[in-house]
Amino acid sequence: MSTLIEVKQLSKSFGNKKALNDVSFTIDAGTTTALVGPNGAGKTTLFSILCGYLAPDRGDVKILGQPLRHPSLFGKLTALPQDAMLDPRFSIEKQMSFYGALQGFSKSEALKETARVLELVGLSDNHHSQINELSHGMRKRVCIAQALLGSPKIVLLDEATAGLDPLHAREIRSLISTLSDDISFILSSHDLAELERLCDHVLYLDQGKLTAHNRNAPVGQSKYITLQLHEQYKDALERLKQLSGVLHVTQSQNKEYIIEYQWEFEQFDIHLLKYCYKCNWQYHQLVNGHTLENQLFQKD
Amino acid sequence: MNIQRVWQLAQFELTRLFATKRGLLALSAFAMLWLMILRYPIGHAVPFLSSPEFSGVAQQLAGNVGLKALASWPQAELAIFWLIALYSFPVFALFVCSDQTVGDRQRGTLRFLSLRCTRDETLMGRFLGQLTIVFSLIALTALATFCVMVYRAPELFLSGSLLAFTLVIQLTVIVMPFIALMAVLNLISSSSRLSIVLAILLFTLGNALLSFASSYLSAIEVLFYIFPGVQLLDVAPHENVPLILWGLPAIQTAALLALGVFIFRRRAL
Repeated sequence: MSTLIEVKQLSKSFGNKKALNDVSFTIDAGTTTALVGPNGAGKTTLFSILCGYLAPDRGDVKILGQPLRHPSLFGKLTALPQDAMLDPRFSIEKQMSFYGALQGFSKSEALKETARVLELVGLSDNHHSQINELSHGMRKRVCIAQALLGSPKIVLLDEATAGLDPLHAREIRSLISTLSDDISFILSSHDLAELERLCDHVLYLDQGKLTAHNRNAPVGQSKYITLQLHEQYKDALERLKQLSGVLHVTQSQNKEYIIEYQWEFEQFDIHLLKYCYKCNWQYHQLVNGHTLENQLFQKD
Repeated sequence: MNIQRVWQLAQFELTRLFATKRGLLALSAFAMLWLMILRYPIGHAVPFLSSPEFSGVAQQLAGNVGLKALASWPQAELAIFWLIALYSFPVFALFVCSDQTVGDRQRGTLRFLSLRCTRDETLMGRFLGQLTIVFSLIALTALATFCVMVYRAPELFLSGSLLAFTLVIQLTVIVMPFIALMAVLNLISSSSRLSIVLAILLFTLGNALLSFASSYLSAIEVLFYIFPGVQLLDVAPHENVPLILWGLPAIQTAALLALGVFIFRRRAL
């Protein structure tokens, strides 16, 4: 698997505040990566550095083997920057086809590309609109569309679905999921359920420090399942501990249990569901491994 | 630097003036203003300068400010055009070119561009686009003046067209550093209005401070040459102008653009 992004000992400060503190990670081709962290953790700073909007104080970044802002990255690395907007004096089509022309398309190809990406985000009827005539959600979708012009290899989406209505947020998630075979997405969001569905690699930033999680990697000699029950059944924790193959059970929150079981136990999930049926427990959700929320915030 | 991308950026700037409502409105205001200039200062001043009763007085007056040669041009309309354009186009360029990158930077549009072209290309493309706009406006006004002149004296067609062409080129060279100055001020200010305020402060307060300082230390008089338009009074007579005074705007432009590239490369978007 080839490395798309390699970041080594990256640091960036604003005055006395360290936005990024010695951050290192790699992102491989074919992965969809989540960038998670509380407000002010340094997510947008990291995005801005990867896109070349900000220069780091220290550290080394290689994207597709090239340094930041290298012309060979034009059209290969695209982004939905936070709070960026197209020029309200021109139509969406005019600006997008201009961006296409800058990426090397002929005039007619650029127009076709514009039509293609606007259709992808459900804005086929808005070619001639100006950006200030559109709602907040539609503006965001236009900005996502510009990131899909051409054949990008890496797309960075900063809060892509924030402010979108549920229907269009779902469409954008579905679009990302569909395109993720060809494009490596890096998504920043506070919606952990969304990231859980889309991402297989998580970068967690807090106070400028980063920890990476591979969501599918086995831990030691055991595997995990997260079981969410419909209600808080009596003695559920104790009874789960007695199930064969189970090594350890913790209750992460009300009605939710993290079950550690022996890695060689085949079809443990089916075994567990049968046990739920036997105990007359209604289950709400069964997650293979940890939920992203537990992975990031569970202390024990 | 990719020349094709620079040219695409420059071409897009042209549509800002010629294909947007705001641009066309500004163009209409410009056209109305120049219609007034053509109708009155140019149209009326010519018989005044040409009449035998006043030509002696006018030439005497013009000679006192170094413009004697201008007053004797047979293409009198172009002489008046030259004087008006020499002082009005640099000021006009400051206003017209006051938003080269700052608006896009504040709005975040430059973030989309910077993933498709280098910052140097953006700066150069925008500069070239604005220069092309000002060049076309100078050329249009010169053409209109030329038409007024040929209507009065058709025999001046040939000599007048050559002179008009020369004036257009010279005026374009003269406005270049003003456009480059606005490109630089755009990089250090937060709005196009603030860029204009900074330009006004540079030409007034900056000039006054330098004059004050140079009265104590004459060596720093050389710093006046960093001001675009420092040579305007000397080139106004249009005759026997040293070549260096035509080269000075080009040198100032190159220096300002180099400074712009230096700042832009280090600026956060």
